[in-house]
Amino acid sequence: MTIPPLRTFKIAPRDPKSGDLPASHLGKALTAEGFLDTDGDLHIDGKVVGRVCADRLVLGTDGYLEGDVVARDVHIGGRLSGRIFALNVTLESSADVTGRIFHHEVTVAKGARIDARMPWRPPSYFETLTQLPESRS
Amino acid sequence: MSVFTRNDKPAETNKPFDAKPSEVTRPPETPSASATPVAKPTTQAVAQPLPSTPASATPGVSVISKALKITGQLESTEDIRIDGEVDGDVRAASVTVGSGAKIKGTVYGKTVELSGTIEGKIEAEKVVLTSSARMSGDVIHKDIRVESGAYLAGHCKPEFGKS
Repeated sequence: MTIPPLRTFKIAPRDPKSGDLPASHLGKALTAEGFLDTDGDLHIDGKVVGRVCADRLVLGTDGYLEGDVVARDVHIGGRLSGRIFALNVTLESSADVTGRIFHHEVTVAKGARIDARMPWRPPSYFETLTQLPESRS
Repeated sequence: MSVFTRNDKPAETNKPFDAKPSEVTRPPETPSASATPVAKPTTQAVAQPLPSTPASATPGVSVISKALKITGQLESTEDIRIDGEVDGDVRAASVTVGSGAKIKGTVYGKTVELSGTIEGKIEAEKVVLTSSARMSGDVIHKDIRVESGAYLAGHCKPEFGKS
């Protein structure tokens, strides 16, 4: 399987046109394996193994994600094992994150389980992110 | 909620990162919540609530919107609606492929309704090719309906569940 190139990380606010992009929803019963790419919103309640690129990603309470996430906004309510590259990261109280959280702004709710390094990066880091760094952990 | 809302910044700095206009207009906070000073330890530290599932999506059903491209496998015990692009196999109870959708791979299901494009194979008990369907590849079925206008290049074999 060929690896699709990483979409250029868009830091600019979404243009009004793409605001109409319908959100994708992966239900509880769904298991996806591979690369998920969207310019719009993505809501995951199921299980995803692979890389996810989205404008905004919501990982529901029952969701499980294993792999890297590249997005502008990330809301985590479920379990994540991997790396997050996002300007805004919100970890709900039900979140369980293992890995690394590259962020510019992060919000952590009381009760969230985090076993991760959380490096801060300037917005320019995300702007120029065309290739994910190799994992050393 | 107010604990984590950074009010000290000018509105402009926050603006580009707000995801949805609907979130920007937050409901007016109750006096008790807004009165809580930031430095004071609070018992309730709540992040922004999870945005609810889009109203169009019924719970349990998965929707791959037209903006989403998936390279890899999809598997579900429930229904999937695909309007986007999938490069890989899809396996679900019932698969609905919308008119803009493109799938390269095999689609397995109990029922498969195709209005978009599939390059590969369909293996389903009940197959429906609507007038906008474009199917390149074989169809293994038990029951098939092909509407006028559908494009079908491949063999139709009524062998579902026999091999």
